[in-house]
Amino acid sequence: METIKHDNGQDGWISHGLPYLLGILVLLVTPLFLDTYGQGLMTRFLIFGLFAMSFNIVFGYAGLMSLGHAAFFGAGGYTVALLKLHYEVDLFWISAPLGILVATVIAALFAIIALRASGIYFLLVTFALGQMLYSLAWNVKWLNSKGMQGITGITLPDLGIAGFTLETLSFYYLVLIIFLLSCVLLYRLIISPFGLALEGIREGEPRMEAVGYNTWFLKYAAFVVSGSFAGLAGVLFAYYNFFVSPNHLGIATSFLPMVMVIMGGLGSFLGPVVGAAVFIFVENFASILSPQRWPLVLGTLFVLTIMFARDGIGVYLWRLWTKWRPDFGSAKN
Amino acid sequence: MEALRINKLSKRFGGVNAINDVSFAVDIGERLAIIGPNGAGKTTMFNLINGQLSPTTGKIHFFGQDVTFLPPHRRAHLGQARAFQVISLLQKLTVLQNTLLTINGTKPHRFAMFRPIRKFKDLFEKAANALEGLDLWEKRNEPVSNLAYGEQRKLEISLGLSMDPKLLLLDEPSAGLTKEEGTEIIGIIKDLDPAITVVIVDHDMDMVFEVAQRILVLHYGQVIADGDPGQIQKNQKVKEIYMGTEDSFDYAGTA
Repeated sequence: METIKHDNGQDGWISHGLPYLLGILVLLVTPLFLDTYGQGLMTRFLIFGLFAMSFNIVFGYAGLMSLGHAAFFGAGGYTVALLKLHYEVDLFWISAPLGILVATVIAALFAIIALRASGIYFLLVTFALGQMLYSLAWNVKWLNSKGMQGITGITLPDLGIAGFTLETLSFYYLVLIIFLLSCVLLYRLIISPFGLALEGIREGEPRMEAVGYNTWFLKYAAFVVSGSFAGLAGVLFAYYNFFVSPNHLGIATSFLPMVMVIMGGLGSFLGPVVGAAVFIFVENFASILSPQRWPLVLGTLFVLTIMFARDGIGVYLWRLWTKWRPDFGSAKN
Repeated sequence: MEALRINKLSKRFGGVNAINDVSFAVDIGERLAIIGPNGAGKTTMFNLINGQLSPTTGKIHFFGQDVTFLPPHRRAHLGQARAFQVISLLQKLTVLQNTLLTINGTKPHRFAMFRPIRKFKDLFEKAANALEGLDLWEKRNEPVSNLAYGEQRKLEISLGLSMDPKLLLLDEPSAGLTKEEGTEIIGIIKDLDPAITVVIVDHDMDMVFEVAQRILVLHYGQVIADGDPGQIQKNQKVKEIYMGTEDSFDYAGTA
């Protein structure tokens, strides 16, 4: 909704850009002072931030309630895992593009079925399709390591550079680069005519139809693009986690981006990233404090968000910033 | 030449004949009003013409092309624009966003994915022109829901015009407006390019008699009168429906 407001020249680039610059700086520098555990945690946050942002395209912008987005996330991850398990392939330039491709194809197929329904039925169909993959992953031997549910033995990818192997910190920076590139791409998508049209569909599909938009096509494209980025997140997750399980395809994982998007700010561009940060870090520290009861902490936080920052924590923080930011002599003309 | 030809059109909802074997044609540039009591099938007729509904039987031709089963967006590209009875503007989006979306809907770059919408200069110029003409440029960054009801009506109709339509469908353009606002809408319609064909549905007889060259009266889904305003005023059946005994009014359904 903020997309066009930026062009009226009322705010200087400093007051607009400063939070982003600070954010990028923090992401760049912090891991240098953390142990591998902390670096891993930040990697995890970026991966889920990307997953949540991809989901936001469909959920926040186009207003489609999908409950099967883990299918694409998991498909990306399983592709990486299967390539390693059956073909000993861990070259990044093969497994990552293939992971994205598989996720995209599955999204393209699922969307054809799911978009026949709308509203709550759309939610049920996407849920059912996701669970289908989940049960497939449970039951097909080829999709599991010997004697277990899921696939182990995944490693950090090989970048194909002689004499260079990724370890925790360099992998973090690889993920960061991919994350930032995805942010740029997704942002450009959101401020494009396509992105605005998605918001139009969310606000009133019949009107969009009547003024000339093939809304089915728009929703389809949004779903597929969103699926590709979810797949990318899944690819990175498989490398990070060394293990994929049917759970990464099912409802438990589909809920994560939904919670993150709602907590961070539905339909705001970076809100989902804030939501992912809150979720991942609170989950981590709460589980250290109370290994059994950490979901309680997250649940409480979720309820508090709904009560006091209904538009999302990210949006709330942004408002605080625009209210309290120092005057940099903004470039008003 | 004909802009629109409706041929033996029927629409059934369950056992109800909302539109029952209706035929008529509208010439290019003609100003046609469709009137009739509530439940007469006026809005159903609009939904069939614009593609929100498909007919049970019959055909619709638009500038000679069979559009009977085309979806609304295809009809928009052929030159139909519609202002809805219940304002359909996207309430949470800004005035400018609404304008851009409407103008862009029939443009080839409406699906452009990775180019910022700001870069489409011609689109912005057109939007700026449209909004300046309405004195809404100052309010361009406000959500539509901040506009007064009359302003929203005007905006919706003007946005329809910004699509450069060949046929403009106006569903109760004066509903809920004050006398002055209604007069303003009448002014807008009268000032339209004579090449644009206009079909209006309205209850407001001032409006209808002011702008229509021809009036079609629907009753229970059937055409019971068709003629110029003078003929319609004198028509006995029409008088019965509108001014006759009270039980000839029908409040059973909405139009």
